Amino acid sequence: MGIQEVQGNSKAQAYQKKKKAGQAEGFQESFLQNLKNRDQAKKAVADTQTGLRQNMADAQTGLRQNMADAQTGLKQNMADAQTETKQKAENVGVGRIGMTTGIRVNAAATQEALQAVEVRHMSYEESDLVKIAVTEGYTLKGKREDGADVRVYVEAKYDDGRQEAYQVEIDRVPENTEHMIEQFALETMKEG
Amino acid sequence: MEQKWSYLVDEYRAMLYRIAFSNLKNRADAEDAVQEAFLRYIKDEKPIQNKEHEKAWLIRTTIHICLDILKSGWYRRTVPWNESFESAAKNIYLPCQVRDDQTLDAVLQLQTHYRNPIYLFYYEDYSIREIAEILNEKEGTIKTRLRRGREEVKKILTERRP
Repeated sequence: MGIQEVQGNSKAQAYQKKKKAGQAEGFQESFLQNLKNRDQAKKAVADTQTGLRQNMADAQTGLRQNMADAQTGLKQNMADAQTETKQKAENVGVGRIGMTTGIRVNAAATQEALQAVEVRHMSYEESDLVKIAVTEGYTLKGKREDGADVRVYVEAKYDDGRQEAYQVEIDRVPENTEHMIEQFALETMKEG
Repeated sequence: MEQKWSYLVDEYRAMLYRIAFSNLKNRADAEDAVQEAFLRYIKDEKPIQNKEHEKAWLIRTTIHICLDILKSGWYRRTVPWNESFESAAKNIYLPCQVRDDQTLDAVLQLQTHYRNPIYLFYYEDYSIREIAEILNEKEGTIKTRLRRGREEVKKILTERRP
């Protein structure tokens, strides 16, 4: 029994050796496999990153393009709107600038009958005609020019702080004018 | 000296009366307020720099006197017997020919902080800078009050329409 046991032990040792060798081989194989897998994984990650970068770059380019298109479109729309408003203001002789809904006369300066001049700060007493438009946010003062039968000086004051003055050539004002300053100049001429 | 005071009274009485009336809506009280303003000016020993400063001082003082009268217990407990509020605008003789009593009445109905800037801007023809100086406020504040006051006037006029 004792010998058998010894033989048995040697078999067991051999088995252990074989097992160890097998394990070593297995380990080596799995190690190599892992290395391969890791390389593949690295490559895959690198590919993904490259793809992502490419996608982001594409997206950014697209966004930039869209923004540029939108800006161009907006600019075009604004320019169209401004041109349209200016055209309407010139046609009617009435502009609308700023937040208040008063009648604004900037556009009128381009008309022939009106000429923008320096504000004289004329008082109500000095004026031939005064118009107080509280709900519109402005006052107008008009006076026939001394020595000139056909010219009227008109001063406008707005509740946003602006003050403007015009010299109106009455001969050039159409009778059916809808322009606020021109109408007022005609009234002043009658009063004066 | 007497000449100076008579010049002051001649120069500013009408305007100060209009401002006082726009606040008090009563002739007698307005006259009292103006007299009180002149008295304070005479008693005040501080030198006045120039004409503009002098005018601004008188307007500011008149408005303060009006506000004091309005706040007084006596004023709040009594009603003037000879002048109804509806006709208040008719008692103001503006320095311009064209007038719209309905709008002026609406302006006189406004709260003090809207009424004074609006009255001074439209009916006394002061600039925003001058009003800011008279009322001791910033120009931006006056602009805001003019804009909001205008909206209030519109509201009052709309409510009155049948």
